[in-house]
Amino acid sequence: MRWPILRTVFVKELRETLRDRRTLLMAIGLPVLVYPLIIIGFSRIAESGESAIASRASTVAVWGALPAEVEAALGDQTRLALKPWEGAPPEVRAALEAGALTAPALRNDEERRTNDEGRRANDERVEESGPVIEAARAAITRRQVESVVVLWPGFAERLGAGDEAALTVYFDSVRRESEVARNRVTEALREYRARVIARRVAEQGLPRGFSTALDIRASNVAQAERRAGRLLGTLLPYMLLSLAVLGGLYAAIDLTAGEKERGTMQTLLCAPITASEIVVGKFLAVWTLSLISVLANLLSLSLTISRLLPADVPSLGAANYVMTALVLLPVTLTTSALFLAVSSFARSFRDGQSMVTPVYMAVALPAAVVMLPTVELDAWTAFVPIVNIALLIKGLFLREVSVDLAFLTLTSAMLYAVLTIALAVRVFHRETVLLGGKESVRGVLGLDGKPGGLPTPSLAVSFFAVVLVLQFYGSLALRDQPIPTLLLILQYGGMLLPSLLVVAAFRFDWKRTLALRMPGPTAVLLSIVIGLTAWIFAAGVVARLLPPPENLQRAMERLIRLGDDPYPLWVVWLVIGLTPGICEELLFRGVIMSGFRRMGGVAAVALTALLFGLAHASIYRLLPTATLGLVLGIVTWRTGSIVCAIIVHAVNNAFIATLAQRPEIIEWAGITAASTEIPWTFTALGSGVFLVALGLIARNFEWRMANGEWGSDERGSDERGSSDKGGGRD
Amino acid sequence: MLTADGLTKRFGAVAAVEDVSFAVEAGEIVGLLGPNGAGKTTTLRMLAGILTPDAGRATIGGLDVHAEPLEAKRRLGFLSGDTQLYQRLTPREVLRYFGELYGVGHTLEARIEALVRELDMAEFAGRPCSTLSAGQKQRANIARAFLHEPPLLILDEPTTALDVISGQFIVQAIRRARDAGRAVLFSTHIMGEAEYLCDRILLIHRGRIVDGGTLPEILARSGRGNLTDAFLHYAGA
Repeated sequence: MRWPILRTVFVKELRETLRDRRTLLMAIGLPVLVYPLIIIGFSRIAESGESAIASRASTVAVWGALPAEVEAALGDQTRLALKPWEGAPPEVRAALEAGALTAPALRNDEERRTNDEGRRANDERVEESGPVIEAARAAITRRQVESVVVLWPGFAERLGAGDEAALTVYFDSVRRESEVARNRVTEALREYRARVIARRVAEQGLPRGFSTALDIRASNVAQAERRAGRLLGTLLPYMLLSLAVLGGLYAAIDLTAGEKERGTMQTLLCAPITASEIVVGKFLAVWTLSLISVLANLLSLSLTISRLLPADVPSLGAANYVMTALVLLPVTLTTSALFLAVSSFARSFRDGQSMVTPVYMAVALPAAVVMLPTVELDAWTAFVPIVNIALLIKGLFLREVSVDLAFLTLTSAMLYAVLTIALAVRVFHRETVLLGGKESVRGVLGLDGKPGGLPTPSLAVSFFAVVLVLQFYGSLALRDQPIPTLLLILQYGGMLLPSLLVVAAFRFDWKRTLALRMPGPTAVLLSIVIGLTAWIFAAGVVARLLPPPENLQRAMERLIRLGDDPYPLWVVWLVIGLTPGICEELLFRGVIMSGFRRMGGVAAVALTALLFGLAHASIYRLLPTATLGLVLGIVTWRTGSIVCAIIVHAVNNAFIATLAQRPEIIEWAGITAASTEIPWTFTALGSGVFLVALGLIARNFEWRMANGEWGSDERGSDERGSSDKGGGRD
Repeated sequence: MLTADGLTKRFGAVAAVEDVSFAVEAGEIVGLLGPNGAGKTTTLRMLAGILTPDAGRATIGGLDVHAEPLEAKRRLGFLSGDTQLYQRLTPREVLRYFGELYGVGHTLEARIEALVRELDMAEFAGRPCSTLSAGQKQRANIARAFLHEPPLLILDEPTTALDVISGQFIVQAIRRARDAGRAVLFSTHIMGEAEYLCDRILLIHRGRIVDGGTLPEILARSGRGNLTDAFLHYAGA
């Protein structure tokens, strides 16, 4: 990959894309238009509906003899048009007038109270069936009236006698105008009732509070800021995600299928430029378009919110928008690469559109789940591509995100990004794809390759991502199992088995990929020493730099002790020591590190260590485990043998577990179960021994690689220059 | 300058090109002549490093096209009749882009201006390629293929879809290239064009080279009076 060439391709692709109106419209025009339109549109529709209803009088049928006083009270409500006996079937009217029908009985006090409140009476009361409700329902549903007030027989008399008079307001909660009618009627009646009660209380000479007793009011406790966040947090991630990725979508189709259609791809392919340079240049252009789109979206959104939302909803701070933009980066990486890869298969722009549209739907639709209030960022959703980012944005706006979950989300999102970029590069390496031929999935995945090769860097990262997700869901599914069972299944089933399968499926060279080579006695001895002292270095030095939180530490201790029940030491050694030694090493220092080998020793060891650290899924464990990963990488690289790494790993783990089980072994050094830090003196001594052993390994086994026993056909390592002097002792 | 050695390419069960071997020397024009579907384009694409052969190898200036693709491609100018230009760029921008890819260096601008003059492109060199006529586009394409002064030119049916006058630009460019000591390999299905332009002719049919040599040699071997009859003789028609 040559940077000047990459820049040339990137600049040209971007220039070409920016001259395409269709792409620009999607990336910038759409967001600029959409947000104001949505917010204006929504409020207009709601407003106009409300105001139309509000300005019109409600038609209310009154079935029964209406006392003049009540009629006057309802008449105070100017927006009520009373229609005596409107819509009442003759038999119902006759029955009511004859006093043959009575008010449905209230079932209990609770219902009476609710009813009495006059508020939610008919919502909650299921007034089964009966001639009156059926007649009222018919009158309302055929839109003859909006509400029916039934004054039950004896209403006027009871009211006059100071008794309780019953009336029922029938309405349809589904129809907004019916609800408005109900509200107007009940409001007028409540006012009237208050006057009647006040009069009766005065007549009886009772105190003012006699009939009210309690004054109950409701008040919404949600802060205005959180209300704004809730509103935006549910709508925003969805809108942002689906629109932000659209910017890259058209650019991706244009630069691949469009280029093929225009017949310019072939010219590019016979220029002195590699497929990787073409695809990465194109990818950068598509990504830039996505970023422009993200910015356009956020800008348009923030302006819309600050200008158009009601004044009592405070706008969100600039920090929120910056965070959102940052969080969107990995998603735009993923979607840009995905669109690029998929549209590469198309032969024309139209073809590309029909291929990418389903992919876009698959991206945009899951993001819609964030609009459900119950779906939140947790350990499960943090690994679901796209959705995790949408949830993270929602969390940011609602201020409900934990650092660890955000870390997990961003890590997995970056992994998905790397995975899709690797896919795009792979697709571009297939000449039949570029020249418009047919291509098989098997071909793109590289499963048709020649036997005896080594993994590629992209395969290493892809494989790592797959294993990580596998581990993650595995550990959630098995969380009710005892810890030893869980660990054994995850290690052998989730790491070793996939490693062996991938080597078999791609027909890699077993010995070279997994570094299967027996070390000599010196290497074994040094490995044991390193294994015994590495933890002192990691715990004494590294953990001081970034102390883990206490609950994590307790969880780790519990894990190392295999739970709360004591196990015999040999079980601990097997489960915590040997098993991870074999499984994790064959995965990391085997498949993954051999994938990075062509990038040189330093890069291979460092990248593998980074992934090893990331695999431990907590930001606090990243540094110590990555340090251990570095040590294991150096040991493997220098000795050329996975066995040495297995020894270091197994001894290291087993020793720590032994100390956790039998703390008395180490108490003489001033370390107790309660102390979290290892004393400096002990740290210095242990670290010294560790560094000497590591140095000896690094110095004396340098020749392994240079002699070509470990990948002679690879592009060289950084250390090759100094490698001649090493004689090797084992 | 260019060698093909046992080139073979299959698409599924169909062998598009089978065991094709020949060489093109500096300062000669070699024509690859055959009907549509004979395997001309596939052969040229393998030589240009666009397609990987299933068997055999191709070299440009002694460099294996597939083992050292970047170095080999730098020595090659490739032009095909259906080659298009970037619609939204101007010919000058296209030339600048490819100049940078080929590593032309600081002489690039001067080289572009020279080609614009030579191919009479001044009038349209600053307009988007989407607005150019077929002839103007092909002139811009010739400029692109000649830009880095490659010792080898591979031209795949370069005169397709061109009128006589526009075609003349190509013909002249090919002759000038030969006179400058470049090797030229071009494919065509037009017998007359091959007769008129080529130093040597390779007849290709169903993915195989059925005969090759100068025009008189081919006519003598086939015992026919003209190239068309000679070709039909080999095609068994």
